[in-house]
Amino acid sequence: MARFDTLNRAWMVWDNPAPAPEGAVLEYTRELEKFLAEIERRAFRMAQVALRDPDDALDVVQDAMLKLTRSYASRPSAEWRPLFYRILENGIRDLQRRRTVRKRVMTWMPGPKEDPDNEAQDPLENVADAAPTIPERLMQAQAMQRLEESLRALPARQREAFMLRNFEGMDVAETANAMACSEGSVKTHYSRAVHALREQLGEVW
Amino acid sequence: MSEQDNESFEMRSRALFQDSVDGLDMRIRSRLTQARSAALSAAHRGRPWFLDWKIWTPAAGVTAAAILGVSLWIGTPIGHHSATDAQSNFEDLDLVASTDEGSGDAMDMLQDDIEFYDFADKAANSGPAA
Repeated sequence: MARFDTLNRAWMVWDNPAPAPEGAVLEYTRELEKFLAEIERRAFRMAQVALRDPDDALDVVQDAMLKLTRSYASRPSAEWRPLFYRILENGIRDLQRRRTVRKRVMTWMPGPKEDPDNEAQDPLENVADAAPTIPERLMQAQAMQRLEESLRALPARQREAFMLRNFEGMDVAETANAMACSEGSVKTHYSRAVHALREQLGEVW
Repeated sequence: MSEQDNESFEMRSRALFQDSVDGLDMRIRSRLTQARSAALSAAHRGRPWFLDWKIWTPAAGVTAAAILGVSLWIGTPIGHHSATDAQSNFEDLDLVASTDEGSGDAMDMLQDDIEFYDFADKAANSGPAA
């Protein structure tokens, strides 16, 4: 039905190319703003889990927002979430590829070597050290940090499936749409991710 | 690893993630709000005028028509040669079959020659004329 809805909208645009009335534009802009406001923080944290660097995470989230509003704002609002996360994941993958290439190039370039300890540092580590918190809060932060590290160690598709299904609360069909794969693949990736994470984190976690 | 263990693991990880989302600092929140505003204003602005296909469609049509016209004017289409050949064949047939004076001369001359040779042959056989 969603496809027919999209098709109908396309025909409406074709038959009547006049710009949409101001009221309708305001309506969907408001709806889009509500959607982005609801999703942006979780999207940022997911990007941060994958990329580690908060500035890079902000960049990919902003880029995904721009692409969604520019190219897909006229699509039915039910399609926004999978589309947004597909754009976001593509952005994350692109950035990771660029980083890999840059790293390879930098190893051939003369210059000061990076401190491996510094590279392995996580921003959350600094936050936890800088601000004293109650023990329970500290334990939660540490648990989350361990979970993030384990998620980064997963293959990209497993990480994607786990975060979309578990953190974002998408159902299998929506996740399959966002990941551009079959529902069966989503189930397989998700199951493997849960298994691997539980193995890495141990029973105590 | 039982199904129940998996469920509790999923619930715990979800809760931890949500805590980390709720605990985002003001700097990040502010930058996300700015990013959202920028994206929405970009959507309002829409695409630049030169990327709008509606502007380029008439120009593309005119260009295509002009190219077609020039190619018809300068070049020779493939079918043109066979049409010319067929036409010249018809002209040849016309010349041969035509019954007007100009084109029938050769046939008339041939007819006259046969009559003359027939007369000359008879005259030779009948002996010298008196």
